[in-house]
Amino acid sequence: MNRRLRNALKGLTAPDIERRRRAMEPFVRATFEIFIRYLYRYLGNEVECEDVLEDVYADIWESPDRLCDVNNDKHLLRTVYLYYMRKHLREVYRRRNRHLHLSQKGLERLIAPELGILEMMSEEELGQALRRMLNKLKPRERRAIELWMEGMSNRAIANELKATVDAVKMLKFRTILKLKKLMHNYYPKE
Amino acid sequence: MYDINRTIETLLDDYAEALRDGCIPTFLKSLTREEAKRIASSRQFQDATEIARILNSVGFADKAVTSNVSLFISRVDAKIASRLKKPKASSRRGRGARTKPVTKMEKIEKPI
Repeated sequence: MNRRLRNALKGLTAPDIERRRRAMEPFVRATFEIFIRYLYRYLGNEVECEDVLEDVYADIWESPDRLCDVNNDKHLLRTVYLYYMRKHLREVYRRRNRHLHLSQKGLERLIAPELGILEMMSEEELGQALRRMLNKLKPRERRAIELWMEGMSNRAIANELKATVDAVKMLKFRTILKLKKLMHNYYPKE
Repeated sequence: MYDINRTIETLLDDYAEALRDGCIPTFLKSLTREEAKRIASSRQFQDATEIARILNSVGFADKAVTSNVSLFISRVDAKIASRLKKPKASSRRGRGARTKPVTKMEKIEKPI
């Protein structure tokens, strides 16, 4: 954890409201990118990410007690997700869920799940692990995932791989499950 | 337009695509009762969504990082200011004590 962030955290956990408010700016500057990237994982929409993050920072300002013992970046992200982000992530779709068929629990599992070992890895670690695991896949499987990550539609991927759209969907599903297995074998549970 | 009665593979594909395109609400609305049940009971679907989220994060999270953090900071400050103005809502117990309705029994038990 860099010194700027450590100082900002010290200011944030001060009892004085105004001091906490002043400490918000360096704290936001130091953490904005990490937090918004993390939220993007769940929401996939930058506007919603900013709206949620705004509430998260306001909550941190209001009750920063959970951050008192934070001593590294990973611990900070974990604490912020568990005690500040998750609540708001759940709220994003809760109001709309009145007209949905998915149960509240099913929705929560989809939108704000429990933390797995992969979910706590930093973006850099994940990128490295993913590249390594992609190399272990069959060429066709790897190509399907790479094309999807380039933003291509199923039809375009099907044209590229000379397959049907349904075959591409099936291939992606199987490959994703294979990736999950590979990554969990690589990072066994602590 | 989504198909009806989709298989679990198609559902995952539609979820991953919705996540990539930032339209999760549309995907959620598109779920039929049977599809919702299928999702809730499928362990494979839950496992696969974890990887779909990771792919989304590694591949597309750059889109979320705005260059203007200062503007965002001013939004956060405005939010804090509004919370400072708003008096803390009194606790349920406090409010309840004030407006507690008098029950029939209490009315009867009043000293004569």
